[in-house]
Amino acid sequence: MDTNAPTKPDDPRRKSANLRTALVFASIAIVFFAGIIATKWIGGPTIGIGVMAGAVVLFLVFAIGRNLRK
Amino acid sequence: MSSIPHDHVAGHGEGHEEHAHHPAGIMRWITTTNHKDIGTLYLWFSFTMFIVGGVMALTIRAELFQPGLQVVHPEFFNSMTTLHGLIMVFGALMPGAVGFANWMIPLQIGAPDMAFARMNNWSFWLLPPAAILLVTSLFVPGGAAAAGWTLYPPLTIQAGMGMDLTIFAIHIMGASSIMGSINIITTILNLRAPGMTLMKMPLFCWTWLITAYLLVAVMPVLAGAVTMLLTDRHFGTTFFNAAGGGDPVLFQHVFWFFGHPEVYIIIMPAFGIISEIIPTFSRKPLFGYASMVYAVAGIAVLSFLVWAHHMFTTGLPTAGLLFYMYATMLIAVPTGVKVFNWLATMWKGSLTFEAPMLFAIGFLFLFTIGGFTGLVCAIQPIDVQIQDTYYVVAHFHYVMVAGTLFAFFGGTYYWLPKWCGRMYDEKLAEIHFWLSFVFFNITFFPMHFLGLAGMPRRIPDYAQQFADWNMVASIGAFGFGFTQLLFFYTVVKCIRSGPSAPARPWEGGTTLEWTVPSPAPYHTFETPPIVK
Repeated sequence: MDTNAPTKPDDPRRKSANLRTALVFASIAIVFFAGIIATKWIGGPTIGIGVMAGAVVLFLVFAIGRNLRK
Repeated sequence: MSSIPHDHVAGHGEGHEEHAHHPAGIMRWITTTNHKDIGTLYLWFSFTMFIVGGVMALTIRAELFQPGLQVVHPEFFNSMTTLHGLIMVFGALMPGAVGFANWMIPLQIGAPDMAFARMNNWSFWLLPPAAILLVTSLFVPGGAAAAGWTLYPPLTIQAGMGMDLTIFAIHIMGASSIMGSINIITTILNLRAPGMTLMKMPLFCWTWLITAYLLVAVMPVLAGAVTMLLTDRHFGTTFFNAAGGGDPVLFQHVFWFFGHPEVYIIIMPAFGIISEIIPTFSRKPLFGYASMVYAVAGIAVLSFLVWAHHMFTTGLPTAGLLFYMYATMLIAVPTGVKVFNWLATMWKGSLTFEAPMLFAIGFLFLFTIGGFTGLVCAIQPIDVQIQDTYYVVAHFHYVMVAGTLFAFFGGTYYWLPKWCGRMYDEKLAEIHFWLSFVFFNITFFPMHFLGLAGMPRRIPDYAQQFADWNMVASIGAFGFGFTQLLFFYTVVKCIRSGPSAPARPWEGGTTLEWTVPSPAPYHTFETPPIVK
């Protein structure tokens, strides 16, 4: 968010920016939670690295994809 | 920087009266989405759990007053050590820090409220059921969890139903923490007042921003670990069960991947509070603001790399031992930067010693002792000798109690005039500090001697040669515990009958919260202030 211009708390742009930030961090939390269990379930560090790498790629695809749409 | 150059701050005074109406009575507290109300709820919840955990600590110290078994059964003693740790960490210290965050972050960055006000309410109201689960686990068949707050298998796989309640409590508290962290990150990143760049934020907000990042990264790992414990217990998996090919030591790795950053999660908001108090009562800007921010970030990064220093006696390879030993020692560098900067802030300052400053200086003195004993523990050949002894108990209580708790006391006295619009009784607060300081050291300093002499932790009985220092520690513990009733009285007296506080009760206070009236109006900064 641009902090140089005052915005109202219920500004839709601000609300969607808040939601985006929250979703990013919630998905990080979910990846960590599922990742640690998947790693132990399937076994070996490769799985853990795979889960993390997959998550990073998904984030990139999502982030780039959003901007391509514009 | 802690002192914000806001040449013109607008938008905090107008429009409060028409927005001041809100539900009254119990419904106000259940349904509130106001960050100040929720901050108050967190702080009272934290204090309540502090008392509950404190009573458990006094039960432990009563049993250890002299050798032999006098007061409780050994199984109950183990439950007490376990619940004391869990309640203090998850019920008292973490919610206390979130309480300060809820109250102060929107006020310090010029935001009208937290970014997700309803989620904020939910984050808080998840905590009481979790606390009830934890405490009622004492009364179920088999008793409460008794494997220590670290919940190591195989004990936790074999334990009774109390362990299940503990696991669910941790899940709920973890969910609450993650939601709270996401809320704090979003608030700080998106709702700062115009002109307040990240490097103009008060250091308290910076420490909380970094703490929230740590929480989002490590709480899910703990949740994953205890979920696996649960499935091992009830669904036939063998993640940590050696009988089925699992590895109990793997749990320790996963737990400490959470557990070590958790130490910094607890201490970093305290760093932030101290970084607000010292400049105010030194009447000088914080020395080395940028280096303080980088030091906190450095500590946060390093905290992910040192977890296995808690496992030096589990048979790690030599290369691992060396890596974790040196990486742990490296944390002393950014921590030293912080201590140096606090001292440099005081250097040639116009110092006064009101209660918040006393607690801040007490923090500096005692936290530094705790930090140095941490360095001792980091040296692997020494750690092998003192692992699981009272030396470690002394070390982490110097960090957790004299560090975080003293900072919370200081922060409470510092911001109490803003919270309730009244000044506290300075004389009582100073007595509270001195009694806490003296009794704290009577309790925990002898534990260094006990640990070095070889007394193991988590035992209800001990050899005769440890009797004298245990008696001293127990006397100190009861003194420290009863001193906190004075804190409660001082706070209640302030809320009910203290003299009115001005908007800026501390002449050295320069952050945005001091620009709003005392008590802070129910709604603040509905029009964002302009920070120049």
